[in-house]
Amino acid sequence: MANLSLRTLTKAYAQTEVLHGINLDVADGEFIVFVGPSGCGKSTTLRMIAGLEEVTSGEVVIGDRVVNHLEPKERDIAMVFQNYAIYPHMSVKKNIAFGLRSSRMSRPDKEARIAEVAGILDMTHLLDRKPAQLSGGQRQRVAIGRAMVRDPAVFLFDEPLSNLDAQLRTQMRLEIKKLHQRVGNTIVFVTHDQVEAMTMADRIVIMKDGHIQQVGTPSEVYHSPANTFVAQFIGAPSMNMLPGTLNGGGVRLASGQSVGTIHTSTTSRPILLGVRPDDLTLQGSGPTVVTGHVAVREPLGAETLIYVTTEAGEVIAKADGRSPPDVGAHVTLSADPANVHVFDADSGSVLT
Amino acid sequence: MRLYSNLSIKQKQIVWAWAFLALPVLFYGIIRFYPTGTAFVISFQEWNLLGDRTWIGWVNYVELLNDPVFWKVFVNTFEYLLIGTPLSLVVSFVIAYHLDKLRFMHGFLRMLYFLPFMTSAVAMAWVWRWFYQDVPIGLFNNLLASVGIPQIAFLNSTTNALPAVLAPAVWAGLGFQVIIFMAGLRAIPQSYYEAAKIDGVGWWTVLTQITIPLLRPTIVFIVVFSSIGFLRIFDHVFNMTTNNPGGPLNSTKPLVLMIYDTAFNGFNMGYAAAQTVVLFLILLLVSLAQLWLLRSD
Repeated sequence: MANLSLRTLTKAYAQTEVLHGINLDVADGEFIVFVGPSGCGKSTTLRMIAGLEEVTSGEVVIGDRVVNHLEPKERDIAMVFQNYAIYPHMSVKKNIAFGLRSSRMSRPDKEARIAEVAGILDMTHLLDRKPAQLSGGQRQRVAIGRAMVRDPAVFLFDEPLSNLDAQLRTQMRLEIKKLHQRVGNTIVFVTHDQVEAMTMADRIVIMKDGHIQQVGTPSEVYHSPANTFVAQFIGAPSMNMLPGTLNGGGVRLASGQSVGTIHTSTTSRPILLGVRPDDLTLQGSGPTVVTGHVAVREPLGAETLIYVTTEAGEVIAKADGRSPPDVGAHVTLSADPANVHVFDADSGSVLT
Repeated sequence: MRLYSNLSIKQKQIVWAWAFLALPVLFYGIIRFYPTGTAFVISFQEWNLLGDRTWIGWVNYVELLNDPVFWKVFVNTFEYLLIGTPLSLVVSFVIAYHLDKLRFMHGFLRMLYFLPFMTSAVAMAWVWRWFYQDVPIGLFNNLLASVGIPQIAFLNSTTNALPAVLAPAVWAGLGFQVIIFMAGLRAIPQSYYEAAKIDGVGWWTVLTQITIPLLRPTIVFIVVFSSIGFLRIFDHVFNMTTNNPGGPLNSTKPLVLMIYDTAFNGFNMGYAAAQTVVLFLILLLVSLAQLWLLRSD
């Protein structure tokens, strides 16, 4: 068990810098999820923590040791790979035991440890099988077992659920979360799926282009996004962004619509008004934000997504699942000022 | 046309498959399988290629069993197999394993290893034959002489001749095997090695527990393929010992050369056919044994 720190961590391949000085402190036992679009540097960061990639500059600290120049095996970490990396020619038991090969444990201790891990993962009955005889979810559990058996200070997961089908993914998500609550090791988990990040993480690290955009609890990044990227990356469907100007605390949208006083700042400047589809209501009490015509409806059962064509562009809102407005209907969308986000139009940062 | 359109999709596929297969099947039937079948028949006959064939039963096989040259050749053939196959397997694996990790001049080196495979066996045999000559002609003996080591009779010694003939044969096959091994190595996902690195196991464990087991299909292919090659060795031997094919004293003579000799110098077609049947059985048994030994469980 240990905490993990990244200090101005950078990574460059030849002249191209792909990670631009990452700073992060992960507390002991915390479940951290790195999320971002492909190429944002999240996997590179994970591989640098693991010791599979050289650190260009900065420090990786596990416990109280700087591990930059330590071999992966000396870092007290274990990793679960996207394609599981379980050996097809070995039985489940041998695969799990492979994690203990270099350990100095006595044979009976190793056996006991394997049995214990198999028990936790509920696969004692699968120990003699070959990976080919297992389902995707079971293989995933073998990979987790091989990592667990070493009882590492930090678990690293590199997109472990992306090879599973949707239903299994939801199930494994839950299992990993339960496992974390049970064993309590520090976990660093990489994914490109914001739902995975939201559901599993204690804290989410949102990355883009080799920079950290925001670090926070799922609730923080959802309700108080630091910039337009985070606002639109977290939450589905994406947050609506309406261009406008902030003037004396009120917002005038580019479409001409005036939205009441929603900000304390009185300086005049161009802004983007962010409203989540969930917060745009059809017959709300808040100030009117936009009006327009329903272009497309997407029924989801409990609710219906409506795509509204307005003078400010296309806006997505959520309507009731039972009686949504018809296509072509004129609708007035309003929002509670407390749920509206104002971003600087140039930098994309939230205005507080 | 009506008949065809009434067929099910599966039946139409079969019709088309046979339409495309017809020519090769005909070719193989007439050029390959018919003569092969005939060879079995001829092995029970006496025939000098021009005269009548006479049925003599098992006489050719009995003669073969009592022929000391056959047994010498039999042993030679297995020596080629039992030295050549493991040697070329290990050497080509070692080359491929290291070449795979090398980025610098990778393509050029691969080309160098592959070149002998493309070279004519005859030309190569004659170059190696020159290497093996005595001083002042032969390359090897000149090198030995320059450091003061006594001459080695490579092709003129009954003990040295077989390995000397085998060496260029192994060398010629290396390029192909290296390419196949490298393809096998590339097919192993990198994450297996990364996982092993994180588990902290040494390179020997990685090699014996991960790389080699995962290369099993590649190894089976190379072993069977090169074994058949060594059991059928002919052109290297024939060209390096042209003055006295298979010599000295039959010490390098493989089964194929004996068959050639019996058939086209001795014109004893029945006896030669009996030898081909024996060769066929050896190839069959060795291949089956290897497939069985190297089967995946």
